[in-house]
Amino acid sequence: MSVGSLTVAPPRTASPRSCGIAGVVLGALAWVITLPPIELRGMLASIVLAAIAAALGVVAVRGGQRKLGVETIIVALLAVAGAAASAKSSLATVESVFTWSALAAATLRYATPLLFGALGGVVSESGGVINVGLEGMMLMGCFWGVYGADLLGWWGWGLLVAMLAGGLLALVHGVLSIHLRANQIVSGMGVNFLALGITGYFLEYHYGPNGTPLNISQVPNVRLPLIQHVGFFGAAIGDANLLTWVGLALVPALTFFLFRMKWGLRLRSVGEKPRAADTVGLPVLRIRYTAVVVSGMLAALGGAYLSVGFVGSFSNDMTNGRGFISLAAMIFGKWRPWGALWACLLFGFGNAMSDRVSSVNPTLGTLFEALPYVLTLVAVAGLVGRSRPPESDGIPYERE
Amino acid sequence: MTGSAPPILELKGITKKFGSVVANDRVDFDVAAGEVHALLGENGAGKSTLMSVLYGLYTPDEGEILVDGRPVEIHSPRTAIDAGIGMVHQHFMLVRVMTVAENIVLGQEPSRWGRLDLKAARARVHELSDRYGLAVDPDARIEDITVGAEQRVEILKALYRNARILVLDEPTAVLTAQEVRELTGVLNRLKRDGAAIVFISHKLREVLDVADRITVLRRGKRVASVPRAGATEQSLARLVVGRDVVLSAAKRHGTPAEPLLAVADLHVGDERRLEKVSGVSLTVRSGEIVAIAGVDGNGQRELVDAITGMRAPASGRVRVDGREIAGQGVRAATEAGIAHIAEDRHLRGLVLPFTLAENLALREYRSPQCSARGWMRLAHLRERAGRLLSEFDVRGGGPDSYAAALSGGNQQKVAVAREIASNPKVLVAHQPTRGLDVGAIEFVHGRLIEERDKGRAILLVSLEYEEVRALADRILVIYEGRIVGEFSPDVSEEELGMAMTGGQVSRSEAVV
Repeated sequence: MSVGSLTVAPPRTASPRSCGIAGVVLGALAWVITLPPIELRGMLASIVLAAIAAALGVVAVRGGQRKLGVETIIVALLAVAGAAASAKSSLATVESVFTWSALAAATLRYATPLLFGALGGVVSESGGVINVGLEGMMLMGCFWGVYGADLLGWWGWGLLVAMLAGGLLALVHGVLSIHLRANQIVSGMGVNFLALGITGYFLEYHYGPNGTPLNISQVPNVRLPLIQHVGFFGAAIGDANLLTWVGLALVPALTFFLFRMKWGLRLRSVGEKPRAADTVGLPVLRIRYTAVVVSGMLAALGGAYLSVGFVGSFSNDMTNGRGFISLAAMIFGKWRPWGALWACLLFGFGNAMSDRVSSVNPTLGTLFEALPYVLTLVAVAGLVGRSRPPESDGIPYERE
Repeated sequence: MTGSAPPILELKGITKKFGSVVANDRVDFDVAAGEVHALLGENGAGKSTLMSVLYGLYTPDEGEILVDGRPVEIHSPRTAIDAGIGMVHQHFMLVRVMTVAENIVLGQEPSRWGRLDLKAARARVHELSDRYGLAVDPDARIEDITVGAEQRVEILKALYRNARILVLDEPTAVLTAQEVRELTGVLNRLKRDGAAIVFISHKLREVLDVADRITVLRRGKRVASVPRAGATEQSLARLVVGRDVVLSAAKRHGTPAEPLLAVADLHVGDERRLEKVSGVSLTVRSGEIVAIAGVDGNGQRELVDAITGMRAPASGRVRVDGREIAGQGVRAATEAGIAHIAEDRHLRGLVLPFTLAENLALREYRSPQCSARGWMRLAHLRERAGRLLSEFDVRGGGPDSYAAALSGGNQQKVAVAREIASNPKVLVAHQPTRGLDVGAIEFVHGRLIEERDKGRAILLVSLEYEEVRALADRILVIYEGRIVGEFSPDVSEEELGMAMTGGQVSRSEAVV
């Protein structure tokens, strides 16, 4: 439609899809302009922008992009609410909440354990085994990581012990759901309670009422010498935990593995149509076992990040549902590594916001805390695009 | 020519038991290079079991397998593939979300350091597909290609693995007539290249068309191996069933009386609201079988749905014995006297995890005999089921057996029994013999004619030329949602085929 490449004005006949996307961007902008560094006071500009965004949403709906259009309108409404909140708060408050670099750093901190769990979920479910046991595997990593680091004196050993423990618990889930063909949801839940019992018992047994020691070796942060002191980036990523970087690096690595390597092709074929894999001579059950155990190891790393990486100690039920959230992130991310990453960052952002907002307004903070869960519901309800799990996800395989 | 060459593959005395059921009883089978050897038998005769043994999916209890005269142990598909055996399964073993090339190379991927070399895969696929005339697009996803193309991919999968022995399990069940002709061409090319082909089927005619030799299995036993020369449909049918079979039900003409089903100017859309039935009008009278013939996907499904109340038509009338039921749902249709033998017995005909007694009650569960004040009369249902099962000669289960446990033919008999037992005025039979073997087809056909003679109006929707001709008193041809012609049952296959594919129909025969 636009003839010259230099045309600035939007093309006359924009597609409904580009209208919707433009609407989302404008809607987000309506809120962003009230935040640092722009800090536009008063709501007029925001309302105008949001109204345009909503109008574009309506255009998109009319043009057949119903879901995108509705999302655009929701964004516009949320933006007005956000702008109103900014307008009502003092400038100092807004600035204390929206210290972008600190928010980014906190988002990464919150997202890291979720990311490991979600990637674990991707591996397991690509191979056709639903892993509700992520929570338990994470919890195992949490405790045994501390135990290993304490006993063997180095965080590296701690991570290894954590992965071993997570893998072992995953093996239990594997035997139940692959070999014995139990219902995978039930087996996963069983494994979760098992982990709660095991970690609780050994915490008491080894460390008694005093809890884990305070001086264990922790996973170090990576100080980036070049950008550590460079404004935003320095504060956001200049001093992030080693495991955060490992998690981020795993995303492209896993994507490459799943979609470019022969083992990924095999794993996915086992999750999609195990009989097809079997009839070309692939060992379906062995591949599934491997996937589940690797999944448990990844989840355990996420758990270990919480204890050995971040806090430096273990307390009962420390994961507190993060395994389930990571499962939701995996679904939100449509069973893909990159999707899972974006979902984890979004959930992490929700946590980070709630932390910051709580410091000025506890009530509103609690509301923000609910954000990841609301988003999860939205994701599970399938409002964010159509997500399609692997065809044989959750179905035990047997030869007729 | 054949028979003189030493066999590539020999199965000797294969016995396979499942519990007390003997699926294969000392079966011998062999096939030579450049030969098509058909394995013929009814559903449940043990054909698929034998091939699963050959492909390493089942371990035989007795017997041995020889390839090139040497005994081989085949305990997994992997070893079968290594022995040069390729199998095209009846239900395709393809991953829907992956591409054609990915499916073909799966398990033996060309790769460097584990990285898939899709370029090499594509080249190999091209080479094979050119050589055997198996046209496929390597980059298309399986979910986007036709059933015929899926089958070509399955054959390519076997060829990619250097199969010298190719087993095709019911390969024509899902194909159109045109695709069957193409498949025959491919098989001939493979034969010329020295491949040994095992062709499993329960259709007599196509076995006679493609096979060099024919082995018949009945109840797990090999009853005969005959060369094609000299075999006839009649002789094969006798071997398959073990007695003489009436291939085309010897039927007297019906004696049509008053019209029971009257459809007028019916328009029906599909799920996407595209019009699939465009102004169909037809009448079926008491004591008459009217067949709707046509190529699959020309509006048959939507027409049947609209008549049976499963789908509301956009416009038009459906009257059963004068009572208007269009768009009023299944219950109204049932109450007006419509029964419906569904096209897909698994999807619509039966509830597989239910017992036979429950399945048989699905149409009539509300009648006072079957339930009162919300309580099912279980004793009555069971007793009624027992009666129907013996009347319709359902074998392999009693009232408390699960529908899933029956063979396809017996499942279909259950569905037929339920519909006829509801004592309908109008019986809509949609593909009533799909996937059934000779014996079961004979039974269903006989029963439909019997019901016609009792004065029911029967609307038969079928894709099978033989079936249409054998049963119908009148044949209506549907093409792109319209009735394009009416024929008497003695119409030639060519003429009917022409009309079904939209060819010119002489004016005098076209209904107005």
